[in-house]
Amino acid sequence: MFGKSSVKERKQFYREEWNLKDLPDFITDELPRREFGFDHYGRGPNDRYKVFKNPDFLRRFLKSKSPFAAYISIAYYRNPRSREDWQKAEYVFDVDAKDLPIRSCSCDEGEVCEECLGQSLEIVNNLIDTLDGDLGLKNIHLIYSGRGYHIRILDEDMMLADSDLRGEVLKYVAGATVPKSSYPNPDPSMAASNFNFQHFTLPIGYHKIFTDRVKYNIQHLKGNEKIDGINPKLLKDIIKFRHFLDEDAWGLFKGNIGPRRYNNIVNAMANVNLATIDAKVSIDIKRILRLPSSLHSKVSMKCVEVENRENFDPFKYAVPKFVHERKDEEVAVKK
Amino acid sequence: MVESSFLNPFCDEALNIVRNQADLSIVFDVDSRLVDIISFSPHQNLSDESYIPENIINLALKRIKWYIERKNNKEYNSHDYAYLFVEDISFYDVIVFHLTAQAIAYKFNFNSREMRLFVQSQGQIIEDRLGSLMLSEKRELTEDILGELMVSGTVEWTFLKDIISSKKLSLTDLLIDNGEVILDRDEFIYRFEDKFEDRSVSKMYDVLVGDNVKEEVLKNLIMQKTEEYIQNIQEKSHLIEPHPSILTLADEIEKTIDEEMTKYSTFYANVNSPGGYMEIGKLVKEAFPPCIKNTIEGVSSGGRNDAIVLFLTSFASYARLYPGIFANEGANIKVSDIDKNLDITEREILPLIFEAADNCTPPLFEDQPQEKINIISKLGFGMHSEVSLEHEGETKWYTPMSCEKVKIHLPQLCKKDKGCKGINNPLSYYTRAKWNLKKEGKLPDSNQSGNNSNSSGGD
Repeated sequence: MFGKSSVKERKQFYREEWNLKDLPDFITDELPRREFGFDHYGRGPNDRYKVFKNPDFLRRFLKSKSPFAAYISIAYYRNPRSREDWQKAEYVFDVDAKDLPIRSCSCDEGEVCEECLGQSLEIVNNLIDTLDGDLGLKNIHLIYSGRGYHIRILDEDMMLADSDLRGEVLKYVAGATVPKSSYPNPDPSMAASNFNFQHFTLPIGYHKIFTDRVKYNIQHLKGNEKIDGINPKLLKDIIKFRHFLDEDAWGLFKGNIGPRRYNNIVNAMANVNLATIDAKVSIDIKRILRLPSSLHSKVSMKCVEVENRENFDPFKYAVPKFVHERKDEEVAVKK
Repeated sequence: MVESSFLNPFCDEALNIVRNQADLSIVFDVDSRLVDIISFSPHQNLSDESYIPENIINLALKRIKWYIERKNNKEYNSHDYAYLFVEDISFYDVIVFHLTAQAIAYKFNFNSREMRLFVQSQGQIIEDRLGSLMLSEKRELTEDILGELMVSGTVEWTFLKDIISSKKLSLTDLLIDNGEVILDRDEFIYRFEDKFEDRSVSKMYDVLVGDNVKEEVLKNLIMQKTEEYIQNIQEKSHLIEPHPSILTLADEIEKTIDEEMTKYSTFYANVNSPGGYMEIGKLVKEAFPPCIKNTIEGVSSGGRNDAIVLFLTSFASYARLYPGIFANEGANIKVSDIDKNLDITEREILPLIFEAADNCTPPLFEDQPQEKINIISKLGFGMHSEVSLEHEGETKWYTPMSCEKVKIHLPQLCKKDKGCKGINNPLSYYTRAKWNLKKEGKLPDSNQSGNNSNSSGGD
């Protein structure tokens, strides 16, 4: 990406570019009930338990301190200064491009590029479609975090949910459970013979979500992945026969792979689906997350709310001015 | 037509019985009408008078006993309790349900094994009663009760969030569209007609939703309401003096559960190996799965709390005291059922957990001493700094995390080895590995002889 920001660049960003208007409404709405945390030296957030009475106090703090990173709690507290009297918390999905278990780009480990960031956007769009279309959750915000995306959900039911419910919803949305395949025969006289359905034969509900996620994964395999339960020979065959999935010819795909090995794929893909999202973040009800509008100093990009999730381009909307100026300087030096 | 009260003790008709016809002063008296209903129940075993509860209190105790036998007795005979499944019992059953709920609320802690056992018994009785009805009766009654519970053709999935959160129902087993769980045939056809080209959409409804999902929802909602009912009584318990009959019933329930559990709890783990049954015994570190070994070696900041408090505490306690938890699900065991004077807990289990906490970076209790209390609470002894019988049941004895849960909460600890194949819980890994060590004669001496503390109350 754009490398680490210097102290001078951070100061320039917060004094000249950062604007109160960049803070999303869902952040400013109940600001005094949130905890803020700051990382001043690039070693992790160590300045915690900060509270701001209103956005203007936050503005003054950011302008004077120009932190390496700024965070805000997903939780609302009656007493945020001591993280006491938890009231509710956003429900979050964290998809980090550098941690995707299947990446179609050639990035080095721990790095991100335009391609895997694009892939992350596709993944969060799929997740939002499920959260919104299937589960009917409201008040969903998408944030570009600098190296991936945060889906921040302020649906009242989910904000009051405990970790267990958050985990159950996560598994559903991620496609982290192999769908049920055996159903009792509704005819009492045939009760001994169950119906069996492969996930791809049921085009509705959770089966469809799981099938869509598996298809996406398979279509993005490069062939050098190490996935538990899938050996190199199986991986090679998946890539060889995945063209059948372009037309959703799952039966032909499965037929060429073989039923036992197909079963291995299904189980492995449920694990991949879970690993695509940082599950710890989703079940946490007290976590702090990067503050939208702040600077991700490690990669010199802005953390911004995404207005149009279908065609958001982080290189258009999330690059701070000082990065462009760096380029101008480089050009000037070269001349 | 079968009345709702046969399945739903919270319906208007049931509540009217409790308000207007329940008389606490006669619950110990012989009730000839009750005896008649039992005596004339089809297939009821009448070979011995002990099969016939003569009064309401005895019926309440029989209902508890029925559930424990139903779950644990391999020679369980449904004819011994046939009266519980005749519609005529509804009147008495409703009274017994409410009396028992109140007795449990006054005597036992929320989430105590007695409370869980009662709630589970209510779920089981609903399931068995539904199974005893004619198909048409069952369907009509299910629809009526779902209506009473505010669940009709569709219901928002968030209405069921408590039963999803408690994992009684899985979201992935429900058919959800636009936030609504589809239960009704017409709604299913309306929404999905064009999705099934070569299959009858109506038939697909029967298979994917049909009676099964509705009955599951019904059963779980009533179980949930039972929990809420008990909680509600407990919250108000300081305002109301309970009737002496309720307190007597509570004592009798405790006695009955203790007797029955002692009879059926063998505390053996069913190991996934041929003929493999594992007696409880000292912890064998060589048999620990990689995730537990990694935890004991110490966890770094970020994952310390969950690793020690949630993961290791439940694993170590069940591995040492009750490795058969998953083989005997619903057995509702508490620590002192096995470790009578808490010696094992204090001398073996807690030291292992505390040592692992010390190995963390930074040591867990250095900056978070309150986590000691959380560890005690996860063993079922409430929010206190030490384990004591007096506080047992104030919190729940946490069952060990499944592999799936470890992957969500603590992915850094999950470093699979070949022993993990086919395993879905670290405890199953342990029991299998321990069985293999025993087979190979590699278990330490104290375990080779089967160090069972069940009868001695500690070792």
